[in-house]
Amino acid sequence: MKKRQRAGFYFILPWLIGLIVFTAFPMLAAAYISLTDWDIVGNAKFIGLDNFKNVFRSEEFIKSLWVTFRYAILAVPLIIATSLTMAVMVSKNYKGMRIFRVIYYMPAIVSGVAVAIVFKWILDPSYGLINGVLSFFHIKGPDWLYDPDWVLPSYLIMAMWGAGGSLLTYLAALKDIPQDLYDAAMIDGANTWKKVKYITIPLMTPIIFYNLVLGIIAAFRKFTDAYVLGGAGKEGNFYMVYLYEEAFSHYRMGYATALAWILFAIILLLTIIVNWTKKYWVYSE
Amino acid sequence: MKRNILIWIVFLLVLSMLNGCSKNSKDKNTFTFATWAAGTELEEFQAVIDKVNEEAAGEYKIEVLSIPSDYYVKISTKIAAKNSPDFFWLTQELISKYAKMGALADITEQFKHSDSLIPDMYYEGVLASAEYNGSYWGLPWIANPIIVFYNKTMFDELGIECPTATDDWTWEEFIDICRQVSGKEYKGNTVYGTIIDGWPNIETFIWAGGGDIIAKDGETIVLASEEAKKGMGYLQTIIKEGLSPRYAEVASLGSNNVWFEKQRVAMFFGGVQDNFETKVDKMDESEKFEIGYAPMPVCDDGSPWSFDWTASTVMAKSLEGNDLAYKALEAVTKAFFEWKIVPPVKGSINNVIKINPKKEVAMETIAYIMDYARSANYIPEWSDINDKLWYNLYVSLLNDASFDYRSQMDEIQAYSQDLISKR
Repeated sequence: MKKRQRAGFYFILPWLIGLIVFTAFPMLAAAYISLTDWDIVGNAKFIGLDNFKNVFRSEEFIKSLWVTFRYAILAVPLIIATSLTMAVMVSKNYKGMRIFRVIYYMPAIVSGVAVAIVFKWILDPSYGLINGVLSFFHIKGPDWLYDPDWVLPSYLIMAMWGAGGSLLTYLAALKDIPQDLYDAAMIDGANTWKKVKYITIPLMTPIIFYNLVLGIIAAFRKFTDAYVLGGAGKEGNFYMVYLYEEAFSHYRMGYATALAWILFAIILLLTIIVNWTKKYWVYSE
Repeated sequence: MKRNILIWIVFLLVLSMLNGCSKNSKDKNTFTFATWAAGTELEEFQAVIDKVNEEAAGEYKIEVLSIPSDYYVKISTKIAAKNSPDFFWLTQELISKYAKMGALADITEQFKHSDSLIPDMYYEGVLASAEYNGSYWGLPWIANPIIVFYNKTMFDELGIECPTATDDWTWEEFIDICRQVSGKEYKGNTVYGTIIDGWPNIETFIWAGGGDIIAKDGETIVLASEEAKKGMGYLQTIIKEGLSPRYAEVASLGSNNVWFEKQRVAMFFGGVQDNFETKVDKMDESEKFEIGYAPMPVCDDGSPWSFDWTASTVMAKSLEGNDLAYKALEAVTKAFFEWKIVPPVKGSINNVIKINPKKEVAMETIAYIMDYARSANYIPEWSDINDKLWYNLYVSLLNDASFDYRSQMDEIQAYSQDLISKR
């Protein structure tokens, strides 16, 4: 190693030690813990793959995975469609548009717990905002989080409300689309829809792909609002809530760590699948 | 030269990092005390500790460790890191679990042979919450049994006879009063007899029929008994007949106690600590009402069992047999008896008025109910059993009054018994 390279190495050494101590070691430790029966206090007892076998036999695991999967399937496309539409709307340089950009982005900077508490009121069956508006039109609103059938729609509404989070990336991508493409399309007689279909959407696919991957990860890691709000019939028992409860309510660290590895595998698998589909729909020059 | 300087910089960085992770060393007569108290409660807690330290005159010193959020996550993480606080508060449900995990010191011998605080001084039902496997694992420092708060003004105006401070009313009589109240108009609202929304705890109803969840041996599940099912039948009646607001409706006023404060329900199951007296005092004259107090209705086994929430101060396993630590634990526990209501020891009931003079009107009921204060028979598997009781039984019944709770109780019994068999 040259002297200059060695100096560089020494400078990154604290970071490298941090990576080993705080990332690589916990991952290795987690891999080991997932193979043990450990209640956090006593010594971990090696039990091989029993935790993984128990996970797949557990009804709670199946239920929480189903709750999360169903949410992800619906929420991810909904959020992408909503935030993309918002981005297209606020990308125009009309007067006062900056205010709308701030308003739409604002949910992204609000704490998850605060959002959950606000939505607890919005979705209140008797005095909530939504049912209040519905009752104005003489429509009896549902019980939302108190009715198992309406728990998922409740979470989807919350997800859409926070869709502005990815607004910035879409806006940046929209601004990158060359104006001359639209000008050429206009000369060729393309209407607004055709411009969106043949120019905007194809050129936005790389950023849609990026948000799709992040959206899948976020959906499977949904925790804060679900932990605060729950939902009737355990319909609000998302995977991460189940994992947290197993670890810190039931003190089954080995089992919970196995759940974490399974979640990692699921997300990895989905990311690989999405990545594989990239060649069919993501535009690249 | 440059190389040496670089090596020293790296060495110092690593050293400072490792130093940050290391456990602070402290004297053998200094003990840390973890509490969930925050804000005003923490200031009061600190004052109690300061007083105890002063009285110890240097023999030992207690240092406060405040963990106001994610308390149990942090406590368990500290224990896992072999950095357990010396003393910490532990809620009754977790005593057996932590004891089984080996996190707590067994204090049985020191407790039994103490000169100033022995088991007989405690209310039996309260102390049972700190007992597991025939040993004591902590000193209870607070009790908060449930009593019935009722709106005496509403009762009088609706012409309904009030229960008395030490009434021997039954659950059937309680439900009958709910029927008399529910549906009546009062102060412009339709009122309910009581409010049930997951509170009071399910134990209240299971005991109501003379049943229980876990037998005293800690190994037998008795949830499927006819007595337990009869008790749940009382709950079903209340929900089915609309004697309580709908479960989905309760949150509309914020929380269940607000329904009582806003005079929308006549009777409220509340812990004796609930400070309705202060809240009513602060109301506008037109909103004020007189609060009445009654013990829990008598269960079918003849006792007015009252679910009691108790917390204990426990000692880290590493201090087992340490007499100085136990002396400090005992001193601080006794100091708590003059700080929090209700002191869980007999003969200290008058402390309640000293601590909160507004509770004087409730004293007769509080003194009466302490003899019937009890918690469930908690075992290490409780968190799993409780999950089933809550989601599969209580919430299911709250959401659907026609829910087949009897079959569900059979299922939970089988599930719980199976859990125990795997010990």
